[in-house]
Order: sequence, then C-alpha cells, then structure tokens
Amino acid sequence: MTSVLTVAAARLLMAPILVVAAAVLVKGYADVGDGFSAGVIAALGIVLQYLALGREEAERLLALRLIGPAVFVALLGALAVALIPLVRGDALLEHAPAPGAHVVELGTIELITAVAFDVAIFVLVLAAVVGIVRAIAHVAEGEGEGGP
Amino acid sequence: MTLLFALAVGVIFGSGASLLLKPDLFRITLGIVLIANAANLALVTSGLERGASPISAAPGAAVSDPVVQALAITAIVIGFAVTALLLSLAYRIYASARTVDLDELSSAEALRAEEEDSRELSV
Amino acid sequence: MTIVAPLAISWVGAVALALVDGRRPAAGWAAVAVLAASFVATALLAGLVLADGPRQMVAGGWAPGVGIVLRADALGVLFALVSSGALLVALVHQVLDGVGSRAFGALVLFLATGLNGLFLTGDVFNFYVFFELSMLASYILSCYGDEARQLSAGFIFAVVNLLGSFLFLLAVAAIYHVTGTLEMEAVAQRVAGVEANAVILIAIGFFVAFGIKLGLFPFHFWLPTVYVSSTPAVAAILSGAVANIGSYGLLRFGAGILPVELELGATVLLVLGTASIVYGAAQALSRRTAPEVLAYSAIGQAGYVLIAIGIGGPVGYGAAVVYAIANAISKTLLFVSTEIRGPLVAAAFAIGAFSVAGLPPTAGFFGKLELFRAGVDEQSVALVALVFVGGALSFVYMLQLYQHDFWTGEGRHAQGEGESRLALRLVSFSVACLVVALGLWPQPLLAAGQEAARALGAMPA
Repeated sequence: MTSVLTVAAARLLMAPILVVAAAVLVKGYADVGDGFSAGVIAALGIVLQYLALGREEAERLLALRLIGPAVFVALLGALAVALIPLVRGDALLEHAPAPGAHVVELGTIELITAVAFDVAIFVLVLAAVVGIVRAIAHVAEGEGEGGP
Repeated sequence: MTLLFALAVGVIFGSGASLLLKPDLFRITLGIVLIANAANLALVTSGLERGASPISAAPGAAVSDPVVQALAITAIVIGFAVTALLLSLAYRIYASARTVDLDELSSAEALRAEEEDSRELSV
Repeated sequence: MTIVAPLAISWVGAVALALVDGRRPAAGWAAVAVLAASFVATALLAGLVLADGPRQMVAGGWAPGVGIVLRADALGVLFALVSSGALLVALVHQVLDGVGSRAFGALVLFLATGLNGLFLTGDVFNFYVFFELSMLASYILSCYGDEARQLSAGFIFAVVNLLGSFLFLLAVAAIYHVTGTLEMEAVAQRVAGVEANAVILIAIGFFVAFGIKLGLFPFHFWLPTVYVSSTPAVAAILSGAVANIGSYGLLRFGAGILPVELELGATVLLVLGTASIVYGAAQALSRRTAPEVLAYSAIGQAGYVLIAIGIGGPVGYGAAVVYAIANAISKTLLFVSTEIRGPLVAAAFAIGAFSVAGLPPTAGFFGKLELFRAGVDEQSVALVALVFVGGALSFVYMLQLYQHDFWTGEGRHAQGEGESRLALRLVSFSVACLVVALGLWPQPLLAAGQEAARALGAMPA
C-alpha cells in the first residue's frame, strides 16, 4: 500500500490541504464555508499522513503531542464566547459587536466574536478527529493507553 | 422529486436495518451509519427549494432554506460522533475477546456466567 | 441568565474536569462540587418558576420566531431537579467507592449538561441535540467497569437507543416539513391545521423513540442486559436520570405538542402500559438477584407512567408527573443500595421497597394514589384493579428481594462479613429519608405535579 508515489504525494499534499482548510474557514462570512468543514478537511490531511507514512513517521513529522488537551481548550473557548454575553447582560451566544455597530477589520476579515467561535470549532473538530485516530492507532499498534 | 428522495431514504434505511440484524459488530456499526445517513437525507428532503445560498441575498430572490442545512450539518456531526464511539467500542471488544461475532460473544458470556455460578456454589 | 446557569455550570465544569485525571479523589470531589452547584442553580430556578410562572430566553438575542428559545416551565424544571438530584447521589456514591476510570466525573457532568439542556429548552431540534449529548455520555457510562459483559451490554444499549434517536430525527424532519417551524409552542399551534395522516406517523415516531428510552414493552429488550451488567451507581444514573427523558418526552411531545393524536392513541397506550406492568411484575417475581429484579421492576413502573398518560386530562398528566418523579427517586435509592450492607442500608432498602409497592409513608404511595384518583375519575374499574394488582405484585417481589439480600437469604453476606463504609450507608439512608419526607409531607410534590400538568395544558395558548 505504501509505495514511493503514495508517500511522496502524501508529504506534498499536507500543506495545500491545510491551506484549503484555512480558506474554507475564512470565506465562511461571505460565501459557503464553515469552521466544521474546515476542521474536517484539515483532519483528513493529517489522517492521510497516518495512512501513507505509518504511525511513527507521521507523529515524528507532525508533532501532535498536545492534541488531546487541545479539544477541551477549544471547547472552553467556544463556551466562553457563548457564556460571556450572559455576564454582560445580553442573551446566550449574542455576538459583539451588534449588527450595525462599528466593526474592526483585518484586511477583508471582520473581527467579531463569531470569528472566534468558528476558529474554536475548527480547532475542536481537528483535535477531536486526530485524537480519535491517534487513540485507535496506538491501540492497534499494541501499546495500551490507559483510560477510555 | 420528493418521491425520488423518499425512495432513496427508504432504500438506505432498509439496507441499514438489514445490516443491523447481522451478528457481527462491525456490520452493526455500518448499519447504524447507513440509518444515520438515511435520516440526514430525510432532513434535507424536508426543505427542498431551489435558490441562492442565503448569505447577502438580493431582496425578493429565491433563497434555499438555511434552517434545514443547519439541521443537516448538526445531524451529520452527531452521526460522526456516534460512529466514532461505536467503532471504538467494537474495537475494544475485539481487543479483549478476540472476536466480533455476537453469537461467539454471547456463548463466551454464558460460559463465564456458568463458571462464576459453579465457583460461588463450591465456596 | 437563571435559565442558563445550571447548563453553564455543568458544561464548563465537565470540560475542565475532562482535562484532569478523574481517578484521583480530588478530581472526584471537584466533580461532586460542580454538580452540587448545578443542582443548587436548578433548585433556585425551580423556585422562581414555580412561584412566578414560566421564564424564557431567546439565544443570540434574536426575536422568538427566529432564534432558539430556551424555556423553563414547571414540567421541565421539575424533571431537571429530579434528574440532577439522582445524578448527584450516584456520583457521590461512586466517588466514595473509588472511581476507576479517567473520565467518569466529566461524563456524569456532560450527562447533567445534556439533561439540563433538554429539560429547559423550547425548541424541538435543540431538544434533539441535547438528547444526543446525554445519550452519548450514558453510552460511555454504561461501559464503566471495562469488563467484557459491560462492554457488550454498552454496545447493545448504544445500538438500540441510536435506532430510537434516528427515528426521532426522522420525526423532527417530518414535523419541520409540515409545520415550517421548530419552536415547540408554534408547532403545537400549527400542527392542528395539518393533514391527520402525516401527524399520526410523526406521533408514532416520537412514541417509539421515547418508548425505547423508557423501557416500555415491547421496546424493553435492551433494559435487563444493561441494568444487570452495570455497577450500582451507573444503574442508578440510568434509571433515575436517563429514563426521565422518556417520561418527559412523552409528556412534552405527546400531551404538549400533539394532544389530539395522544387521545386517538389512548387505547394503545393503555394496552401497552398494562402489558409492561404485567410483564415486568411476572419477570421480577421469578428472579433472585437484585439488579435483575430492579430492572424488570423498572419496566413495570414505566407501564404505570404510560397508563397515566393514556388516561389523559389534567388529572392523568399530573398523576404521570408525580409517579415519574417518585419512581425516579425510589429507583435511585434502590440501585445505590444494592451492593452495600448494614442496618442503615437495610432500612433504606425497605423504604425503597415500600415506595415501589406504593405503601405509606413513602413518596411512591402518593404516586399510586394519584393513579388511583385518575382511574376513578375515568370511572374505569379495570384500571383501578390493575393499579391495585400491580402494587400487590410489586410488594411481593420487593419483599422476596429484601428477604434474599438483607434478612435471611444467601445474598446477605455478598460483601463479606460486616458492614460497608459508613459514608456509603449514609448516602442511601439520606435518600431514604427524602422518600419518607415526601411521603409524610406530599403537598409540594402534588402541587408541583398539578402545576406541571397546567403548564402542559397551557401550551397551545
């Protein structure tokens, strides 16, 4: 399964896949696109590395040590975006700035809390998929990792 | 058009249901995946309209229903999580029992229960 | 703000606890603290709602027809309170006994989040999302213990309940298609003008999904396997918190949103409820070990709730609410007391047995009394006789179980000679005191049940 062509193609494709994922994440404010789909695309890129290169090579290449806690940190970020408006007196998940107010722009990206929420969802999905694949890969290789 | 979708949902659901009845853990998981996708297809069918994507649409233009698309992506995410859980569970059972056949698993279970009973009686 | 507080506390706590190793005692007690805080927030919300009436918040600051509506009314808040309480008792029991897996505390908190979310929402699809969250947490919890039989029981549990969930999703898709909205109140209003055939199919979809959850005959086949293989705390969680989703769903979606179809199907409900009671009692009479008897007893008790819903009207719905709550508390008490021994525990188990059988002075007595009253109102001799006979059978099998486990039988020395830890025994005993307190002073429970039934009747305003 892992011929030279596959390995070379997998290594070459990693960066473009990440770029496509970032593009899908960013264009979601003017066109079809979403944090979740971007996360899935990026995760598929990483799963491709696992499939083509095998577990040890892929992990050496990608430095995925902190991917486990990253899920929960991203989820806490998303929950913060949802719950902080409650402290300010607004409703749950009400975004700031409100429609019509002045918005800070970074190039063509508008900086609103919805952007932060989407990025958190992106990291959450990426970390969750990669975490599940890693857990199954570790068990399959015979190293039992403790815990569910 | 709705009839075509309804037939598709029926076929996929039926395939999933027949897989669900097999005595193999991975086939059961695949059956659940098919049923989940049949339900997602039914969701999308419930909002079939032709139109532009509802982001900055011109007023009065035909727009496709965004609620159904939001429901569908949520259902897809839930289906994905469920699939991951079932696969991990099936793999875990395989790792400890070395078989994924439900019949073999239940006979091993019955054997274990008999051993426990005889051990309790002899104590 | 107060509607979201229980949800927010348990959600943030769950995620924070997932980052630490749950096996350490400090992490276990942190989970208990967060769950207790969430329970207190739910109790405060319950006090506000029962005093002032339903509260509502629309997420995102949108107008009610556009955004997701979070609604706390008497029915939802009562079930949320009972479920949080059951989860708290089970978690304390397990933390005292020693937690063996990394994620147990976090999973219980995620389950609490899902339950709070689904009891306190007014949007059909939001209900589905939190429903799936709770069920995913409970699938993983049912595998706790990691023995082979628990893993396969967990797999069966997951597959059967997933089938119910996807049927529920199909029904939600259908109801969106015919009414064009997802907010529960708007759906209740618009469904009256829809073609009857479609709505009956939707109602059947909802009924099957919640029947599987509750363990009604003939959807009960997963229940004994799962309850028997679980550890006592997990079984208490499943019967005292997760089964409530079934009762609440039948009440909210049946009586609240589709009342006409519920009346049409009343005969079917009564027949299935009777079958559940008879089947559950017959099976429980022939079993000897505590988890088996209690599992079949749970099937029987679900039948009573279904009969109360089948009777219908404010009396029937109030009886269903009171019975469901009393049953949840009794089952939590019984499951938590199964594997510990000592005089305090024996007394607690006896009180739980009385509650299931419907004898005073317990909460279960008032549950059965409300059912009697509903049956008498309906002027049906068969129903009253059924409740009485069912209660007698429950008393027989609970007495058999008590005798086998605590009095003279072989189960008495299951844990070796002597008593279990004092803290574990105190947990059981305090829940038993709650059951007796509700039995001696039932006014709050009965008034809450009536309030909840009125909240149901007020939906198509």
